[in-house]
Parts: sequence; structure tokens; C-alpha cells
Amino acid sequence: MLRIVILGCVLGILPGALGAVEPAGSRFGNIAIPDPAKPVGSDQCVEPVEIMRRDHMKFLLHQRDETVIDGARDSRYSLVGCMDCHNPASADGKVVRYEDPQHFCAECHAYASVKIDCFECHADRGLNQSQQSRVDTHGPAWRETGSLLTASKIQHRARASDEE
Amino acid sequence: MKNDPSKPARSSRRGFLQAAAAIATTLVAPGIFLYRTGPADASGLDREARWGMLIDTNVLGEADVDACVSACRREHGWQAENGSQTDAQWVRKIRLEEPGSGHRKFLPLMCLHCESPPCVDVCPTGASFKRADGIVLVNKHTCIGCRYCMMACPYKARSFIHENLKDQLPVAPRGKGTVESCTLCVHRIDRDGADAVPACAEAVNQGGRKAILFGNLNDPHSEITRRLRELGGTRLRADMGLNPGIRFQGL
Repeated sequence: MLRIVILGCVLGILPGALGAVEPAGSRFGNIAIPDPAKPVGSDQCVEPVEIMRRDHMKFLLHQRDETVIDGARDSRYSLVGCMDCHNPASADGKVVRYEDPQHFCAECHAYASVKIDCFECHADRGLNQSQQSRVDTHGPAWRETGSLLTASKIQHRARASDEE
Repeated sequence: MKNDPSKPARSSRRGFLQAAAAIATTLVAPGIFLYRTGPADASGLDREARWGMLIDTNVLGEADVDACVSACRREHGWQAENGSQTDAQWVRKIRLEEPGSGHRKFLPLMCLHCESPPCVDVCPTGASFKRADGIVLVNKHTCIGCRYCMMACPYKARSFIHENLKDQLPVAPRGKGTVESCTLCVHRIDRDGADAVPACAEAVNQGGRKAILFGNLNDPHSEITRRLRELGGTRLRADMGLNPGIRFQGL
């Protein structure tokens, strides 16, 4: 819990507040402000940037049980989906690892001194480019709304439409 | 103490609620349900299914079983390159040999996805669990690596990861300190439902033959139940009463 609060404060408020004043790639004293990789092949994240900064870990934590226990693999908040957009495998086979400082996740986590263990098991890069066209990681919920809906609302809506 | 453990207040309350729910599902009106679980679920999970496989050892040769093992390895990214006894082994090649005639049979042996899985019984954290559609999995987010389930499994189906891993595949997160086993290619099942073909079946069902048949054991019209009805299928160690979802023919 403490970790989430600290991460939320640092990731959400500090860079958010600074970002409004300072351009990306700038420095705070002698520390570089994180400028994580923008999504590839899409101009929009699953939620607005300020919400993702503060709450991405909650989305992922909620999502992981839904996936493992209930088999929801096309959900909006999938970690594979993050990696597909923000760290796809490049055509030349070059892979950016979580250990690399320029990895999408590592950049802010290093800045905020947050240690995560997601990538001890999970793939830290997206699928091959050839596979990307086959897999829609954001699923129907994302295509349908593309807006501010929480996972539970989406599920509720999907259940309601299935029962009709 | 208000909560006297000798009095079964909790269990009787739960029993009452269960009975009330059962009545509610049936008595509202014909065709109208207060609550119903079924395939129409927001997730990819079919709660009325029980997935299983029928492995025909009359058809499978040694090369086929090798193909099963390497297909599984490719699909999920587990390696056995060092040949160490502690390497992960989601599916094993088993050789049966009759001493008199020297007649040999080969079969792939993986997690049999029991109806009453002993690995689930012994897990102290609930990480070893059975999904609503009968697939037995390890929730590696809660697995503490105690390996009780490995001791409990009579089929030696589970492996422990001893080393740090690199280059895991997106469909199969795997990591040091957790136990793992055959998932029945759950990522394919969540995507394709009854039309899914696990990687091992895909590897040996070339040319239209059905050496490994995947299907829904709860569906009386599926091909797997039809074949089980007509030809029967062996439950390995049926004496233990675990009712595995993976059955064998020709044993």
C-alpha cells in the first residue's frame, strides 16, 4: 500500500506538475525528467495520461486476477497491451529490456525509486511485429468506447449486452 | 466469546443462503432467472464447460510424442537444454514396455486437469486452483514456491523454476520461485473456446487424424464425449478417484 501511495505521488503529481511547466526531456536540478516512450501505432492510451500516471498499477493489479482466474485475455488493461504499444519488437530485432534505462516502464520507476517484479516473469517487450496485426490486446471494450470507463463498468456493460 | 466455534452458526447460515439462492434461480418464473452463470460471460471463460483431451496411444508413435513435447516447449518457452533433473517439464515422454514381448508404447504425460486435484487441496495460499471450466492452473502471483503441490501430484506433472529466466513469451509468464505445469494451452482456449487446439494436439493431428482430441467433456454432443462413449478411455490411476480430464485410449 505504501508503495502504491509513494508511486502515485511521485509518478502522478510530481512529473505531472513539472511537465506542465517544463518541456519533455528537461532536467530537475541535475536529474533528468522521465520522458517515457510514446505508443507505437496508436495516438491514444487506454486512459488519459494523468490517470495512467496515477493509477496504472491499480488497473494492472485488478486485471491480473481477472486474467488468471476468469480468463479475460482481451481486456483493456493488459500488460501485454502496454508492451505492444510502448515497447514493440522492432523490425531489426533490437529489444529494449527492463534493465535498460530507456525502457518504457523503467524510466519512471528509476526516477521514482520504485522496484517492481512484473518482468521477472512477464515479457518486457511486445510481440513480434508480424504478430501484432493478429492480436487486438485492447479488445472489443476498447474499440467500442475508447473513453473513460473503468474495467468494472466495461464488464457490467458486456454482461448486460450478453444477456439481452 | 460470541463466536463459539463449537456452534456451526456460520456453516448453517451459508447453507441457508445457498438454499435460498438455489430457490431464487429456479422459482422466479419459467424461463426467467434472477442469476445465471453460463457461456455468456464477459471473460473468455466458459463456466459450463469442462475441457479435456483424449490421447490415442494406438496412433501415437515415438516421433509423435517427441513432437508433442517440442511443440509445447515452443509454445510456452520452457527449455530442457541442460538435461538437468530440475529442468521444467510441462509434458514428459513416457515409454511403456511389455517385458515378455518387448512391445513398446509411447505417450505424452502432462497435467491431467483432475476434477478433484490434490495439488489444489494442499496449496497453502490458494495459488494452485481449478478454473470454473476445469483447467487446473498455478496463479503465480500468489505462489510462494513451497512445492507441496509437486509432492501431492501423483502424475509428477509439476515443475519448479530454480533459475532466473530471460525472454519469456507473452502468453506464458514464468519466473524463478514458482511452480508451473501444463495449462492446457489456456490462452488458446480463452481465444477460441471449443474450437481451440492445444499446441501438442496441433503438432500430432497433421493430415486430418485425431491422435489427440481436445473438447468439452460436459457437452454430450462434442466429438470427445462421443468417442469416449463409443470407445471408452482410460483414466490413469482411476483408483485414486481424481477423475482426470485427460483420458487415454489403447492403454
